[in-house]
Amino acid sequence: MFSKHVTKDISAYCHGELSNEESKQFAEHVISCAKCRAKFEEVKLGVKLAEQLPVLAAPDHLWRELEPLLGETQPSRSSTAWSWQMKAAAAVLLLVASWGVWLVYRADALLADKRAWRVKRLDGTPIVGAEKISNNGELAVGQWLETDGNSRAQIAVSSIGNVEVDENTRVRLLETRPTEHRLELARGKMSAHIWAPPRLFFVNTPSAVAADLGCAYTLEVDDQGSSLLRVTSGWVALELENRESIVPAGAACETRPSLGPGTPYFVDSAAGFQDALKKVDFDPDAAARTTALKAMLDQARPRDTLTLWHLLTRVEGEDRARVYDKMATLFPPPAGVTREGVLALNQQMLDAWRDAMETTWMGVWKGLPKPLAEAYWKTKNGLSRRLKEMAPK
Amino acid sequence: MMVAEQLIDGRVIEACQQGDRAAFQLLFETYKDKVFSIAVYSSGGDRAVADDVTQQIFLKLFTAIRQFRGESEFTTWLYRLVVNACLDERRRRRRLLPWGETVAMSNPSEKKPQEKQYARLEVAEAVRAAIGELKPKFRLPILLKYIEGLSYEEIASVMGCSKGTVASRLNRGHSQLAKRLSHLNNPAAWGE
Repeated sequence: MFSKHVTKDISAYCHGELSNEESKQFAEHVISCAKCRAKFEEVKLGVKLAEQLPVLAAPDHLWRELEPLLGETQPSRSSTAWSWQMKAAAAVLLLVASWGVWLVYRADALLADKRAWRVKRLDGTPIVGAEKISNNGELAVGQWLETDGNSRAQIAVSSIGNVEVDENTRVRLLETRPTEHRLELARGKMSAHIWAPPRLFFVNTPSAVAADLGCAYTLEVDDQGSSLLRVTSGWVALELENRESIVPAGAACETRPSLGPGTPYFVDSAAGFQDALKKVDFDPDAAARTTALKAMLDQARPRDTLTLWHLLTRVEGEDRARVYDKMATLFPPPAGVTREGVLALNQQMLDAWRDAMETTWMGVWKGLPKPLAEAYWKTKNGLSRRLKEMAPK
Repeated sequence: MMVAEQLIDGRVIEACQQGDRAAFQLLFETYKDKVFSIAVYSSGGDRAVADDVTQQIFLKLFTAIRQFRGESEFTTWLYRLVVNACLDERRRRRRLLPWGETVAMSNPSEKKPQEKQYARLEVAEAVRAAIGELKPKFRLPILLKYIEGLSYEEIASVMGCSKGTVASRLNRGHSQLAKRLSHLNNPAAWGE
C-alpha cells in the first residue's frame, strides 16, 4: 500500500495532473486513509464549487475608451498584408460578442463535449456513434457505444479505472470531470474495475444509479429496464431518489423501474432465501410479501443480517417487528440499542447496530480492509456532516 | 482553448508588433472577457476598478508586445501581465483603504436576470463572493485554472513558481472555498 499521505496531491489528482500510476497509488491510499479521505472530500467540494465560476462579459465600452488611448501610446502604422483578414476576424468576433456571452459559454460547452474516454476493441466490431471501432477509438461526452452479439469493448474511465462492455450492450458517456465520471447503461452488461476514492464514478440505469465506493462489479440491464448488480470487491451503492441499497463484495442486488433498488443479499445465501426476498421486494400483493418474509427469516444466517438490516426501514408494523426479532437472535444489538428505538427507526440506533454487524458482513470477504468499510459509511452519511465535524469549534 | 483563441497565431502577434490596429482589436476581442473576469474577481467584484485594470492591461500589452520574443507561450506572457496588474492594483487599493476595510463584492450581473432564480446561478454567486475573500496567492491560481483553463505548468510559468507550489496553493484555495461554502454541500442547493 502507498503509505505516505497524499493530501498535497488532491487537486492535482482531480485535475488529471498525475500520471496513471500516481493516480492509482493516490486512490489506493485515499480509500484506506481516513485523514486523506476527509481532505479529499473537502477539496473535491472546492473543485466542484470553483467549476461554477463563470467567465464574465467585458463591457462594450471598453474598446471605445481604449482605442483613442492606443493612438497616444503608439501610433498606428499602415496596415499589414494581414490587415484585411484581421479586420474580418475582428468583425466576426464583434458579431459574436454582440450575440452576448451566451455564445462564449456555448463555445466552451461545445469544446467540453469533446472530452472523451479511450475505447479499445476486444472482440468483433463495436460502434461508437455511427463509427465502427477497428482497434482503438474514443467515446466523447454524449456518445453511445454499442456492441452486437459478437463484439466487446473496453473503456478507460479517465485515469481511475476501466469498464468492459459485453455483447449486446448499449452505454453512453454522460459526464467526465474531476469530481464526477458518469456512464449510462441502457441495456446489456458491463464490468467495472475502479481504483478511485468513493463517489467519483457513477452508472445510471433505467431503475437506479450505481455509485462506486472503490470496487469491482458487474451490472446488467434487461430490455424492461430492470438491473442486477453483483459486487466482486469493495462496495457499491444503488440509489433511486430516497431509496438506497449498499452492496458489499460477495453480494448482489436487483432493481426495478419505478421501484428502484431492491434489498441486497449475499449470493451464497439459500436459494429459498433469495426467491423469498424477490417477492418481499417486488410482489405487489401485501399478503404474499408477508408470507415470503416469514419464509425468508426462517432461512436467514448471521451473515444475512445485511439483508435484514436494510429491510428494517422497508417493511412496517408486525413485519418490522419480525425482522427485528430475527436479527436480535442472529446478532444481538449492542448496548444502547433498544427494540423500541429500532422499531421507531431511530437512526442512531440503526447506525450503531450496523456498525457492530459490519465485521460479520465483511468477514467472508478476505480482501475488504476495515478502513474501506469505514470509508463507505462515512461517505454515505455525506460530506456535510464531516465538514461540520471538522469545522473549528 | 476557446474557438476565438485559435485565431491568434504568430502572424497576428507579429502584426500587433508592427502596430496594426485591426490585429490588436482581434487580440482584445479574443481575451477581453477572461482578462476582465480575472480583474473583477481580483478587485472584490468592483466593476469600475475592473474596467480600469482591464484597460491598463491592454494598454500595457499594446506598448510591450514588441518585447514579446516568442520564448514562452503568448498566453503565458499575457496572463503574467494580468496577474501583475491585479496584484499592483490590490497593493494600490490597500494603501488607499483604512486597515481592515475591504470593498464589498458587488453583484456582477447588475441586470439580475431571471435565471438568477435558478439554484446553480445562486451557487455561482456564492462562489464569486467567496473567491473574492481568498488571499491573492490562493485566488489567482484558481482563476487561472478555471477562467483561463491553464495547466499547472502554465500557471507555474505565469506565477513564477514551481508546479508543486501551484498544486499546494490550489489545494488550500479549494479547501478554503469548501469551508466557506459548506452549506452548499447538499443536492438541494444545486437544484438537484
